Amino acid sequence: MTIDIFWRIPTHGEPSSHRSRTPFRGDWSPGDDSKRKPGLAGSGGDGFSYIDYLAEIAHAAEISGFQGGLIPSFPMTDEPWVISSVLARETKTFRFMIPFQPGFLNPVVAARMTASLQRATGGRALYNIITGGGGPQQLWWGDAVAHDDRYGRTTEFLDILRGVWNGGPFSYHGKFYRVEGAGLADPLAREEYPEIYFSGSSDAALASASKHADYYLSWLEPFEQLRRKFDRVKERTQELGRRIKTAIRVDIVARPTEEEAWEEIRRGFDSLEKSVVENFQRSADGSESVGAARQRSHRPTTINSYKDLIIEPNVWSGFNLLRGGQTNGIVGSYEQVAERLDQLVQLGADAFILASTPHLEEAYRVGEEVLPLVRGSASAAGLRAAG
Amino acid sequence: MSIEFIWQLPTSGDGRYGNAEKQRRGERSSSAHPYSPGVTDPRGQSFNYFDHLHQVARAADLAGFDGLRIPEDPSGDEPWIVAGYVARGTRHLKLLTEFEASRGSSVYAAKNAVSYQRFTGGRFAWQIKAGASEKQRRAQGDFVADGDRHARIEEFLFVARGVLTQSPYSFKGRFFEVQDGGFQGALGNQKVPPVYLSGNSPEDYRLSAKVADVHVFDAANAATIEREVALVRDLAKKEGRRLSFGLRLDVLARETEEEAVFDAERYWQQPGGRQAGGAPTVDQRLWAGLTKDNTGAAATLVGSYEQVEQALIAYYAAGIDSFLLSAVPHFEEAFRLGEHVLPFVRSQVSLEQRRALGGLS
Repeated sequence: MTIDIFWRIPTHGEPSSHRSRTPFRGDWSPGDDSKRKPGLAGSGGDGFSYIDYLAEIAHAAEISGFQGGLIPSFPMTDEPWVISSVLARETKTFRFMIPFQPGFLNPVVAARMTASLQRATGGRALYNIITGGGGPQQLWWGDAVAHDDRYGRTTEFLDILRGVWNGGPFSYHGKFYRVEGAGLADPLAREEYPEIYFSGSSDAALASASKHADYYLSWLEPFEQLRRKFDRVKERTQELGRRIKTAIRVDIVARPTEEEAWEEIRRGFDSLEKSVVENFQRSADGSESVGAARQRSHRPTTINSYKDLIIEPNVWSGFNLLRGGQTNGIVGSYEQVAERLDQLVQLGADAFILASTPHLEEAYRVGEEVLPLVRGSASAAGLRAAG
Repeated sequence: MSIEFIWQLPTSGDGRYGNAEKQRRGERSSSAHPYSPGVTDPRGQSFNYFDHLHQVARAADLAGFDGLRIPEDPSGDEPWIVAGYVARGTRHLKLLTEFEASRGSSVYAAKNAVSYQRFTGGRFAWQIKAGASEKQRRAQGDFVADGDRHARIEEFLFVARGVLTQSPYSFKGRFFEVQDGGFQGALGNQKVPPVYLSGNSPEDYRLSAKVADVHVFDAANAATIEREVALVRDLAKKEGRRLSFGLRLDVLARETEEEAVFDAERYWQQPGGRQAGGAPTVDQRLWAGLTKDNTGAAATLVGSYEQVEQALIAYYAAGIDSFLLSAVPHFEEAFRLGEHVLPFVRSQVSLEQRRALGGLS
């Protein structure tokens, strides 16, 4: 089996580098035209919107050899269903990875939306099912189900999605959802079921993933820890008769030399306000997410330089200081980044979602410089042959 | 308010001239060679019905319509996805997207609406329908009782407007809940989608009076429409509100009345044209039930260009500002109406408006 490599769409705005905190690119905030074009005096109205920039990134990713991209969904971001349908017609191979939380949509409606999106894109839709970090943010979305219940709901949601997909009639009486005689109409019922990437580190999440996921998606963790986690996921799902694959979401900074890569990190780190680093050191974000807790557990008690956040060769654990999201990322020369990715393949990864800022230029850079060096499943096969 | 013409995007299939049967134009339903073996087919499987929907949307934009209604039909493609799909290919059209309040969280619908507004320059609008009978809605995963449908729409809109216009916003109702919600920063201050509601029942009217921007009537003769407009207008006045009115109407317009009647009869006699409700009844050029199974419109206005123009102007006089039109086939007919009917109606209405303002003697 070969390795799928995805890119990311920066729905949370795009600064021009890891050093910049201002995401002013491409009209993310309406009315910011004045920063690029002082003559417009902040009136906006040049006819462009952020989707024009996102379209450029989607094109850059597909031209550069990525499968497609994850389109993150947060309270401050645009919505992936909208982005996918709006960009459906003007992309050729880009696969839209849509994260969504089952509680937000009626499963029958979600099935129809997905089938229509498959029709609109020639089968380029796939899911990243998120079950939510809980806490106050869940209520921001209007969702009040408790943590363990939410995975039960996710399972039910996907049961129904599967049940109605090829036509039905399908009936289901769950704790959270019910349907009677449901089913997609022809020709929607003829579409391929979307691949499912599944996130969540708790036991409840794993139980749900075992049933419905194709890929178990994790953030980058220290390599040995990740090996154990993937082993556990594969073992557990095997027990249930369905061994699922694993994928890693990871930010990278790749440069011609390792020195240049770390220099980019140093400048990013040194540009931070002191209070940001202090908060980072203390951070307890109130989230119920087990994944977030697993990432925090590697944090040193004192941070004086970016070097204090290097947790193993080429792995830096300060990425969420530079932009929202995950903590750990890979930093190094093109060769080193490719080697680390191959190591991750050897310890069990079957797919990657990569990202780097700015996503447009970096899609080209990574596509041209790093991807050709990644051996992928060939490296794992070689390892097995040698071992 | 000036008038608007909204064309319909046939999300579950379109007919052709001389063939009323609904089909997904441009889509290959089998892999069989479509022509005689002596003729090559360059298309393969590279097109489907979405390409035709794109064509219809572009046609409506080019022909001078103001909007596009994207109807909810459980047997067709999903309207929000279709709206996104046609968003980039159209420049001016309002994208009137129909759905039911059972689609999911109201906050999530509002959040998706924000992105549509951002990406289309504020062209996104909502038509919310009450939905079918309980049994049919259960097949859509919707178990709310028939009697609660209107209350749910009202609450859906209340919460959606809340999070679109305020932050932080909290609400806990029977159907929807949100705590410290609302959109800020890049997502803040987006236009609330104009809300179109429809229906002919007293509950429909009461709901529209409270929350609709536009109430859409099913096709009926102008006198009936005038009476109903007055009814809903009064209800709205009691709520301290004003709204405007729309008419969902099909149009079969031809150069001459004879041609129009000939085509209407031919349509009726075809396999796809035979309606479940029996033969159409004709009242003041309104053929009730002629195209209902195909487009959903209660009646079709059949006549020459001039007759159709006069009828539309009469509806304007009866209080209608939004004309939600369709005709089979949707692509070709968008151009026909855009070229032969809309310009005169627009200029006539604008003349009357100026006359009413005292600008013309």
